Amino acid sequence: MESSPVVRPVLRRSSVWREDIIEDIHGKAQLGRYQYRGFSTLRGRPMPSFDDLVFIPASLTRVPLEGYREDCSTRTILGTRFAKKPIELETPIMVTGMSFGALSLNAKVALAKAATAVGTSTSTGDGGMLPEERENSRILIYEVLPSRYGTNVHHLKSANGIELAIGQGAKPGTGGVLLGAKVSDKIAEMRDLPPGVDQRSPCRHPDWMGPDDMVAKIEELREATDWQVPIFVKMGATRVYDDVKLAAKSGADVVVVDGMEGGTGASPDILIDHTGIPTLAAVCEARAALEDIRLYGVVQLIIAGGIRTGADAAKALALGADAVYLGTAALIALNCNRPIYIEDYHKLGTEPHACHHCHTGRCPVGITTQDPELTARLPIDEAAERVTNFFHALTSEIQMLARACGKADVHDLEPEDLRALTLESSMITGVPLVGTRYPFGGGPGWQREETGAPQG
Amino acid sequence: MCGIVGFFDKTGSGNAPIGKIMLRMLEALCRRGPDSAGVALYGPATNDALVLNVKVGEHGDFREKGLQLAEKIRHFARVHQASVLGEYLRLRLEWDQGVRQLQKQIEALSEGVEVVSLGKQLEIIKQVGSPDALNHTYGIDSFVGHHALGHTRMSTESKVDLSHSQPFWAHGIADLASVHNGHITNYHKLRRQYEQRDIRFYTENDSEIIGVFLADQMEHGMDLKDALKASLRTFDGSYSYLAASANTLAYAKDRFAYKPLVIGETDEFVALATEEVAIRAAFPNETISTREAPANYSHTWSVPQEVAVNY
Amino acid sequence: MKKASIDCRGKTTREINVQIRDFIADHATEIEILSPAARHNLGVATIEPVKMVFDGSVGYFCGGMIDGPEILVRGSAGWGLGETMMGGTIVVEGNAGNGAGAAIRNGTVVVRGHAAARAGISMKGGLLMIGGSVGYMSGFMMQKGTLIVCGDAAEGLADSMYLGTVYIGGKFESLGHDTEVSEPTDEDWKFLRENLSRFELPCDRPFRKIVAGRRLWNFDKKDFDIWKAVL
Repeated sequence: MESSPVVRPVLRRSSVWREDIIEDIHGKAQLGRYQYRGFSTLRGRPMPSFDDLVFIPASLTRVPLEGYREDCSTRTILGTRFAKKPIELETPIMVTGMSFGALSLNAKVALAKAATAVGTSTSTGDGGMLPEERENSRILIYEVLPSRYGTNVHHLKSANGIELAIGQGAKPGTGGVLLGAKVSDKIAEMRDLPPGVDQRSPCRHPDWMGPDDMVAKIEELREATDWQVPIFVKMGATRVYDDVKLAAKSGADVVVVDGMEGGTGASPDILIDHTGIPTLAAVCEARAALEDIRLYGVVQLIIAGGIRTGADAAKALALGADAVYLGTAALIALNCNRPIYIEDYHKLGTEPHACHHCHTGRCPVGITTQDPELTARLPIDEAAERVTNFFHALTSEIQMLARACGKADVHDLEPEDLRALTLESSMITGVPLVGTRYPFGGGPGWQREETGAPQG
Repeated sequence: MCGIVGFFDKTGSGNAPIGKIMLRMLEALCRRGPDSAGVALYGPATNDALVLNVKVGEHGDFREKGLQLAEKIRHFARVHQASVLGEYLRLRLEWDQGVRQLQKQIEALSEGVEVVSLGKQLEIIKQVGSPDALNHTYGIDSFVGHHALGHTRMSTESKVDLSHSQPFWAHGIADLASVHNGHITNYHKLRRQYEQRDIRFYTENDSEIIGVFLADQMEHGMDLKDALKASLRTFDGSYSYLAASANTLAYAKDRFAYKPLVIGETDEFVALATEEVAIRAAFPNETISTREAPANYSHTWSVPQEVAVNY
Repeated sequence: MKKASIDCRGKTTREINVQIRDFIADHATEIEILSPAARHNLGVATIEPVKMVFDGSVGYFCGGMIDGPEILVRGSAGWGLGETMMGGTIVVEGNAGNGAGAAIRNGTVVVRGHAAARAGISMKGGLLMIGGSVGYMSGFMMQKGTLIVCGDAAEGLADSMYLGTVYIGGKFESLGHDTEVSEPTDEDWKFLRENLSRFELPCDRPFRKIVAGRRLWNFDKKDFDIWKAVL
């Protein structure tokens, strides 16, 4: 033993004190506050997600549609409840609200052009309407947020839909953040802030609190737009069952629920990973809520938060959504995390496919930055083309899955077209576990008023 | 989330049309609270009898159930009057032991029985549905009295049914009732503390904790005024609430001013409401100046009691 | 000069607003709205320079999102008076509820009586003047613009401001985070007198000036005593 050669020991790593945890503690010991970052959840543990479900397409009991030849409609209409001019989209995929400030001008314009090419919508995000976005986006939704940055009645009146935002999936219950490096002169002017401040927005609307007050606020937005356009209410996925009922009761045309996988330009790290429920659970709770107050189909449902592929989108539709918002996926189509300008990723301390440094304003590919040199790395027309291609690809994926399930309309996808691969996902969605005909545990598990099921 | 209203006749005449006033105020707030409607009406006190409104059950023939229940109650209390209206058995009876004891005995008689209100002057009438429907079933518009509370409900997290609707009687203290707008966020923590002391809860509605708290404080010797002040230090979350006893109407508002409460006062009366539109609907021709109640504050209006009340 | 009149009794908010719009389209320059009975959303998002007189109390969001009109309320107002307005003038003779002048971008809002909590919250410009007192957290997160309070203020005055300015004539229960109190300069006094006298509000109070201390503009861990309350 004494004279044996040195053998490298097997390193035993703790699953509790992981490398990222250790680094986080070291970081806080320097910083003195919580850490900010961008992007989506970076949780190590797998969570219930759309990946836990599979479609069971037609075979003998049902007839599939012939691809390309037999039409499968993707037309999507939002806002039929009260609006005189509901929004009509060519696809159920929409671009979620991401602000000019979080994103560069080029990114915003590229997304607008792509959305128009594909026949869908974009959203202003927090910070007001960019004239360039209104010019290039045929269907533009105007967000009214707690910050009210850049809120302009003339812009509001020119929008195709108004979205009253209560919160978002990445950081429900808190306000927006834009760190000083991204509060450029132009952003500062639009938001009425001193340039270079660490912008922290309020977490609540300044002029109303609670769904009972919201009744009057929704009425105000309708009166301001002469009842023409749909009013959306957007929330982060927390007490989804209760919140969706309240939003619908308060008069929303469309309810938007953003799951915990939702992305952000900047948020405290701890909020992104430890608040909100997964999108899979959120869509099921939201649908049950609308059904219980008999408004399913009257009030439309948009689901957001980590929608990555046509499979995710199709499953969301099957479980009850009328449309899905994409954020992170659209940015990735623009070039986010692309293996180019690799040295600049390294300068940020990261690499392509692992970058989540949107909050720094040093985005190597010019998307989440206000720096003109970096922004120039995202020429608008090429970027728009990439997103257009991506959206077309997603739309055809959804159609393909729908056709395979025997549907001539993607909105005819149902939970009965799915099976669950895990016990958890079966309980959460009420979809039978594979190999059985029954949902495991009788899910969904929240309180259903009629059945008097146990409280969720 | 909801609409709350209150009315107090400062003249003490006992003849104010409190039923009509409550209905007009509640109708104006319907949109805030479309799920349920309820009122707590304080009529004139006559002798020492207690008035009880008892919910007879969840379903079935309420009339039959109610009368059967009245029969059983006659075995242990001197019942002067018993009648069934809608979902309620209304009793006028004499009882000289503790209020909690009477309630316990009545509720033990059958499943789903709940004493919804108890007092010498207080009557709580509430149900799922609109104020108009409430009036249609129970004839609220003919009530006269001293003061009243009202509530229209938009359920936040708990069930929509009669028991979960407001106003809530503060079980254990005759004539004490409350209505609440907002959401008390340390309800579960407080509830567990009370349950450890065997205090019973009837719903999962956070608003119920207000009556439980006030009753507990008052049973330990505090008066209503101080109990309200203590509540400002105890409750977390959002609340504007009104409370009333036999001769008092009061309000309390949380320290962050989350929920609205408008006060309209003249020499003759005080009207409180979540929104001024309710005050204007009930008093269209009065010149009343209105103001928002201040945050982190409570206030009471009282008249000298007509009849000595022994709890 | 073309006057018009609306009696609100028996009408919905929508009907009243449509009538207001029709009168404006018909070139009315002054509209009197009788018996508003504290309805919400009256005259919201009006962008023409018309005069609207509400003969009674209004509910929430009166004058919300306007750009240009002159509004007079001969009673009280509910929450969110003039919220996010871009231009024009609003005068309320009675009291106002929470969030008076919330997030206004320009224009002038005057409350002769008292305002409640969060008066002037998130203002992005413009002028808010209160003849009486203001409630909890007034001037919160003011980005720009000016709040003049002739009376007293409740707790948390002028918390977390950027470039807003608060002048207070009476006492405040407590200040918000990151404030600096000083005596008004001669320029400030000129500004106060001009604007207060324009609306016959008292100019003789011992006004003090409050602006941001700027310690909350960028995080610095050495300032943790102040940051721990706001993070």
